[in-house]
Amino acid sequence: MTEESNLKNAAVRNSDGSVIKATDIRKLYGDIAAVDGITFAVQPGETYGLLGPNGAGKTTTMRMLSGLSPVNSGSIEVAGIDVVKDNRAVREVMGVVTQHDGLDGGLTVFQNLFLYGFLAGLSRKNSKDRAHEVLEFFGLRDRAKSNTYELSGGMKRRLVIARSMMTSPKVIVMDEPSTGLDPQSRNRVWEELAVLKDAGVTVLLSTHYMEEATILCDRLSIMDNGKILDEGTPDQMIDRHAPKEVAQLRVAPASLRTVREYLTGRDISFREVGALVSVIGVNGDRPDLSGLSEVEGVRTSYRAGNLEDVFLSITGRELREE
Amino acid sequence: MNLAIPTPGIRRRSISGLWLRHAVSFVRYWKFVMTWVLIEPVIMLVAVGFGVGKLVGSVEDGVSYAEFVTPGLIIGNAMFHALFETSWNAYSRMDNDVYETALTTPITITEIAMGDVLWAVTRSIMTVTGTAIVAALFGWLNNWEAVGIIIPAIMVGITFGTLGFLFSATAPHTTFLTLVFTLVATPMFFFSGSFFPISILPDWVEPIAWAMPLTSAVHIGRGFALASLDLTHLWSALYLVALTAVLWPIAIFLLRCKLIK
Repeated sequence: MTEESNLKNAAVRNSDGSVIKATDIRKLYGDIAAVDGITFAVQPGETYGLLGPNGAGKTTTMRMLSGLSPVNSGSIEVAGIDVVKDNRAVREVMGVVTQHDGLDGGLTVFQNLFLYGFLAGLSRKNSKDRAHEVLEFFGLRDRAKSNTYELSGGMKRRLVIARSMMTSPKVIVMDEPSTGLDPQSRNRVWEELAVLKDAGVTVLLSTHYMEEATILCDRLSIMDNGKILDEGTPDQMIDRHAPKEVAQLRVAPASLRTVREYLTGRDISFREVGALVSVIGVNGDRPDLSGLSEVEGVRTSYRAGNLEDVFLSITGRELREE
Repeated sequence: MNLAIPTPGIRRRSISGLWLRHAVSFVRYWKFVMTWVLIEPVIMLVAVGFGVGKLVGSVEDGVSYAEFVTPGLIIGNAMFHALFETSWNAYSRMDNDVYETALTTPITITEIAMGDVLWAVTRSIMTVTGTAIVAALFGWLNNWEAVGIIIPAIMVGITFGTLGFLFSATAPHTTFLTLVFTLVATPMFFFSGSFFPISILPDWVEPIAWAMPLTSAVHIGRGFALASLDLTHLWSALYLVALTAVLWPIAIFLLRCKLIK
């Protein structure tokens, strides 16, 4: 994509130059605050992530931003539109990838796209042309006449992303674009999102995959219990909160007790996820694990700190659900 | 409750877009849907018109039982279509997040309801027209005024289309939706003057029968079919309009509770 087309694809901006701006937004369900006063802004062309476990308030945030769910307090501005006042206008400019596919089982793949485009305001001809275009782009052309329930999970997800592209939006919110997909399908989705980014589209996405956030996001927020705990680029977040290096021990069940006793005896902090024991050094020093080399069924490897360590360090909990 | 920010105005594309969705889906499955739109009501018409008609003879002066029962069956059948569209079908669209998807376009809850009701009206018109033509071929619709039966067909679509949302928006599961038929549609179908004049019911039951909206719709339909329109048909029409005016805001409110979280 050229510089010129980047400019052409840039969304209308808010007064402060951002494309999405949420200020102290709050959403209550009864006494429970699903979103508890969060503030952030997404800049033009940026891919911004909300990273957090299920129940962190990511979906509620995205629903409020796209005008689908009213806020209890706070203000939202998207492409110069006051979303709290005019939730219809925001849906004219914003593409939405919903968490649930919401595909229409009574229609074919092509009809899903065409009728979505028509409902969104395209003329019948434009909507048909555009449906062919996005099917081509997402490699679904030979599926045009299929029933949606005949598609694989990965194809469904890509069709939902294709649907959000029907109106060629300059700003898209995506609620967990690749959740539930196998690694291959996920890679395919990421490739396609990279193309969107290249075209200058502003993307806000939510995810609970550390890898997805690392690969796709320019900046991200760590969310938990309805609050944003910290914000920055993936590298900044890792610098700030994660150890440089994490030792990972693969431990055979029979040796697990020995390993635990060894680490506890030396005051080395560790965490267990399945058969994997992670050991985080203090101040970036490699902890002394030499004694474990003789224990049978232990394999030691080292990896760099990542966003999952960031989440753990900020919240004291694992990002992934067990 | 802070349910939705009211958006002023009605966007026509929302309604035509939703209607087109239903039409496209209908065309896709037309062979199956036609069995209900046309074949089932015709079977009923034949069975009751020829069968029961032979036993009963005439109902009023010079009106055969078949002529009497035809508008009742046609309008009663239309009620099932309108109710089904916004109860079962709408529930399935809620369940499969089809409305959730629609709401990501610039559409409002009111427009969703309007689009669906417009389709309920369309279905009602289709089944009423088809069945009426068959009935006319049998010689059971003999007055040119019978063309006017399209008017109660539209009213049935609007009133019962609106009523259906009260069920789909509140149903916790599909089994609950069975109540639409067991408690609402079927009793109405049999006690709304479709098969016999209300006047032969016990005095205390008569007002109850008249309170049921299908009674008014059948009354209007029969007025056209038998070319016997008078002021009572106007009252029936006004009753349906008033009832819909009461049901509509309730339906919208319930749909909002269901779809806007």
